[in-house]
Amino acid sequence: MQLFIEIYGFLSVVLRGVILAAQSVAVGGLAFLMLLVWPLAPKLAGAGAALERRALRLIFVSASGLAAAEWLAAASLTVMLVGTLEIPAQEAAGARAVAVDLVAGVIAAVVAVSARRAQRGGVALRQSAPVLAALLIGVQAGSTHAASQFEGAVVLACAEFLHMAGAAVWIGGIPYFLMALTDVADPTARARVAARFSAMSVGAVAALLAGGALMAAFYVGAAPAMYGTSYGVMLSAKIVLLLGLLLLGGLNFLAVRKLKQEPAGPLLRTRRFAETEIGVGLTVLFCAASLASLPPARDLPNDRASFAEVVDRLEPRLPVRLDSPDFEALSAALPPEALKNLPPGAQPPRSPADIAWSEYNHHWAGLFVIAMGVMALLERVSRRLAPVMRHWPLVFLGLACFLFLRADEMVWPLGRLGLIESLRDPEIAQHRLLTLLIVIFGLFEWQVRQGRIKAWWAPYVFPVSTATAAAFLLTHSHALANLKEETLIEITHTPLALVGVAAGWSRWLELRLDGGAKRMAGFVWPIGFILAGLMLVFYREA
Amino acid sequence: MLGASETALAHAIVLSSTPRADQTVRSEELAIEIRFNSRIDAARSHMKLFKIGGEAVALPILDAASADTLNAKATGLEPGAYRLHWQALSLDGHITQGDIPFAVSR
Repeated sequence: MQLFIEIYGFLSVVLRGVILAAQSVAVGGLAFLMLLVWPLAPKLAGAGAALERRALRLIFVSASGLAAAEWLAAASLTVMLVGTLEIPAQEAAGARAVAVDLVAGVIAAVVAVSARRAQRGGVALRQSAPVLAALLIGVQAGSTHAASQFEGAVVLACAEFLHMAGAAVWIGGIPYFLMALTDVADPTARARVAARFSAMSVGAVAALLAGGALMAAFYVGAAPAMYGTSYGVMLSAKIVLLLGLLLLGGLNFLAVRKLKQEPAGPLLRTRRFAETEIGVGLTVLFCAASLASLPPARDLPNDRASFAEVVDRLEPRLPVRLDSPDFEALSAALPPEALKNLPPGAQPPRSPADIAWSEYNHHWAGLFVIAMGVMALLERVSRRLAPVMRHWPLVFLGLACFLFLRADEMVWPLGRLGLIESLRDPEIAQHRLLTLLIVIFGLFEWQVRQGRIKAWWAPYVFPVSTATAAAFLLTHSHALANLKEETLIEITHTPLALVGVAAGWSRWLELRLDGGAKRMAGFVWPIGFILAGLMLVFYREA
Repeated sequence: MLGASETALAHAIVLSSTPRADQTVRSEELAIEIRFNSRIDAARSHMKLFKIGGEAVALPILDAASADTLNAKATGLEPGAYRLHWQALSLDGHITQGDIPFAVSR
């Protein structure tokens, strides 16, 4: 139970991200049927029925996943309340948020059952789809930040509704759009599908931006809160990712316009950009889940980092720290009797030696990452050096070893905590997970590049792992006692996550595209690695 | 906000409290009030009083005048250092925990 209580904060953010993703795909599918497949069916050159069947299958899967995730969220909040308050489960389950999750789960289950029946020829979904989609998002909107506000709760819930509906129709609709590009073989019908989806997306983006702007104005309030609070930093990251999505969406918008004039034109780029939009869109949804777990920036007028403090923390300074203090100088080495005056569960304050130790770790890790980026870049520009530089993934193993031994000084082999015991700390558990992902990166990518693994999916392990690790970094919380210090750490971690997202998806595009676009994407991700390495090399905690 | 420690991963944050963080109180009885930035489910929130080096006592949550406030009463306070631990469930389903250190002196 104690372990569950300790990791609940992290688990709840991940679960909320899964809920937002499943909800977007389920509602996006219903919108795709209502706005595109059903009205256009007679003009889809006979492909309408097959497209509807595939769409219903994905709606069934996503709605079933949503129902399971909602019920899991309700169960985990109940367990958390029982564990921390020592109250009966029945009383804990009476919490409003538990009820909302249970109801949302029931609506999701109804969507799943309706989709299954529609696959077998039932027509009820045609009438109920708008109500079910609105109910799914409406119930969710009523359980966000808006629910606990004293002022403007209704307006904020409406803004949240618009925001989530826009995300569902646009991001959640893309998998169905990709299905349509495959299923609808007739070029004229396909161009019609693309034009309709493009119009739906424009409307959805407008709704998403209107709702988002209203919430940002209310929850952030003033410009200094955008860089001075964790909420503002996370919102900034979400805006950067959204700009990336808008860029990809804009490129597809132009491609669709071209398709109107030339229906039989090539679709490869549209497909690949749409795949990338799904990936970046999922990252945005996890970012939104992380944002939902933070207190609104407006409520922290006294705990903000100032502009000067932000600049001071981000400003690159030489020399970088390549020597660390001895382990004996760290707080983690303090004997148990030195901690007896601390309140139960409290950690000793971080000493200058602790900070120096952490900076040393980040700076060395940065050198590993720069080495990989430079080698990958040289592999592309120098034929002479390429045979050696192509082994750059092996540098990942060195980095993983370094992080395993040094990232968490409280853990074996340096500290007193055993390996298994240490996983109870969410921050350490996240560091270990990332270390494991790094090992997977390295070994897989090296084997793939040597041609020893020939499975079709093998090259995608690297971009998907990079993008997943970056998305996890956006849900990374240090849960510090000092909110300002938390913000200053977020300011250093969030750009790393954004560069990771860009690196992962540009590698995906390099694998999936051809010609000049492939070459361009092939340069983006090594440069992303070098940038990430530089951020680590100049990382500071004070 | 008040110098009190507070888990950052959550919504409800303390706007004001009695006692304030690091305050010294002189009486053996104390009316505790914590006001948050958002609506709180008081029935599913709690307070515990730790005497440093002593036992922890759960404090029953009293009916509050406002939906954003937790109230409790501590009695029989001996001189010494205390830590008031609170956990609040906001209506949007997020749990926040925090501590308010204070001292009792005669």
